Amino acid sequence: MLKYTIKRLLQSLFTVFLIASIIFILMRMLPVENYFTEDEAMNLTEEQQQDILEAAGLLDPLPVQLLDFYKDTLKLDFGTSRRIQKGALVVDVIGDKFTVSMRNGATALCIALVLGVLLGVGQTLNKEGIIDHFGTAFTIFVNSVPTIVSFALIMVFGSKVLGLPTLYSSRKVMMSSIMPIFCLSLGSIAGYALWTRRYMVDELNKDYIKLAKIKGLSRGKIMLKHVLKNAFVPLTQYLPAAFLSTIGGSMLCETFFSVPGMGPLLTTGVTKYDISVVQTLSILYASLGVLGAFLGDVLMIIFDPRISLLTKEESR
Amino acid sequence: MNNNIVLSAKDVEIQFSLRGRELKAIRKCSLDLYKGETLAIVGESGSGKSVFTKSFLGMLDANGKVIGGSIMYDGEDLATYKKEKQWMNIRGKKIAMVMQDPMTSLNPLMPVGKQIQESITRNQGIKGKEAKKMAIEMLEKVGIPDAENRYNQYPHEFSGGMRQRVVIAIAVACQPEILICDEPTTALDVTIQAQILKLIRNLQVEYNMTVVYITHDLGVVANVADRVAVMYAGQIVEYGLVDEIFYDAWHPYTWALMSSLPQYGVKGEPLPTIDGTPPNLFYEIKGDAFAARNKMPLAIDFEEEPPYFEISPTHKAKTWYLDPRAPKIEQPKIFREMRERRMREEA
Repeated sequence: MLKYTIKRLLQSLFTVFLIASIIFILMRMLPVENYFTEDEAMNLTEEQQQDILEAAGLLDPLPVQLLDFYKDTLKLDFGTSRRIQKGALVVDVIGDKFTVSMRNGATALCIALVLGVLLGVGQTLNKEGIIDHFGTAFTIFVNSVPTIVSFALIMVFGSKVLGLPTLYSSRKVMMSSIMPIFCLSLGSIAGYALWTRRYMVDELNKDYIKLAKIKGLSRGKIMLKHVLKNAFVPLTQYLPAAFLSTIGGSMLCETFFSVPGMGPLLTTGVTKYDISVVQTLSILYASLGVLGAFLGDVLMIIFDPRISLLTKEESR
Repeated sequence: MNNNIVLSAKDVEIQFSLRGRELKAIRKCSLDLYKGETLAIVGESGSGKSVFTKSFLGMLDANGKVIGGSIMYDGEDLATYKKEKQWMNIRGKKIAMVMQDPMTSLNPLMPVGKQIQESITRNQGIKGKEAKKMAIEMLEKVGIPDAENRYNQYPHEFSGGMRQRVVIAIAVACQPEILICDEPTTALDVTIQAQILKLIRNLQVEYNMTVVYITHDLGVVANVADRVAVMYAGQIVEYGLVDEIFYDAWHPYTWALMSSLPQYGVKGEPLPTIDGTPPNLFYEIKGDAFAARNKMPLAIDFEEEPPYFEISPTHKAKTWYLDPRAPKIEQPKIFREMRERRMREEA
């Protein structure tokens, strides 16, 4: 297990390294003019511009720049933001937004997991009944209606009927987070309901469920101990990845409700040529993704005894 | 043969609804099970062997139901059972079942010991350590060495034969009165088959169970059964002691079945087969269901369904051949040869 973990970690590090390098090179290929704001481009002379670029090290040959980037990153120096919050440390710029996104994302995922799995279980128990039809209709609705339309519907309903604030406000964090969080969880609720039902119905037709019935076990026991437990295994594999992708923030949702989260940051960073921010973000996202996949595998091993990390020789 | 009937099915009719149509899988089928006996039900695929016995435990698929007849067990008519609650008093405790494929009949994510223990806890009300001890004993009893450690292992750590032993342990853990084995050895290789049959036999003696085998394999039948019931198109067409069926069968379907056994074949000649297909159970069957495939049908076979004719107190067949008015018909040669051979061997 330890050997495997170390191997996986090294692989992950290499992946992150690769992604960071590629992003770095891509960023350097963008036209340098984007580095300046319109004001600066108009007011600064050609020479001044060149000086600034040189001071930022942007005119060095690419390998040199890349090496500097590695050095700084190893020292955990992620640089300062240039355009998004001029002069502020990138870590600080991302930090605040990360907290907001993570809080919303984690809450949304928990809600989605509970509601989604419950709905899926309800659908299975009530197969071809009212709950099942409702669940199917809900899933189809969420998946077929464009996200922005369902967000708009929620916003109208939330503000007109429930009187919730439509815009995020740092003074009323709780109240103003309700709608964004609900919007964030909407898609996942449908997803988990769909998969839970699917895997549970799969399990229901298995021979060992029949045997459990022949043993004289009650329907409730069978559902809980055999069907749900087994159906949950394939779901667990995706959980960490899902969790990490939600804390990364949702651009659509955060823009829609003006939540100061991390979602829109990457796009802004790229368009504004805020190199440090983009690089740091890509390292962060890559790490989250790799970590998610790793945790998924670990969970899978814990839940499914058939999967073992040991190679054949080790297990003997 | 003792006369202690444990279960008595009478004129059972089972119907399935399939794509809006009604299919009668079991047509007035009757069967008595005696205490401690071993009965083998044979017949081709689709003849209703499994369906008929599944109705004793309420394990029919959702689209199937018993629409007629009675299944008397312990003073109650199981055919009238509607609720799962009622069945839960029968399943496991009184009537248990071993399924065909041991590779799929155990939960892959639960230690095997736990799966046996579940059955013990449910049916005997014994919990915790005590139940665990019993589960380990049960594992030992079905011939699994190192049971203490094996208790915590998962099905994938067992071979096919070992898994079938575990399935048997689950079924027998509650000492049921009747054990139905639905092709228990089909998925196993031949050497393991014999071991499993022997194991079931030993457990049967120890717990005084009635065992019902459902099988295609007449070799198994000859080895283990006291009595044989031959099923065709949802009915038992002939039943009798194993010798009566193997050496003195009277139903033309039983003849055809026996004749197609490789053991009876002549080297160099093609093996006899039964022409045609079983009747379509979506339609009402007129006369004898086997008439269309019978090489020597009587005129009445197409008109009227034959009743059971008694050949001996233990042997009955549902064919007009046995009617006193029927023309004289001889049993196929193989039966005579078999009888002669046996007589020579005995002499």
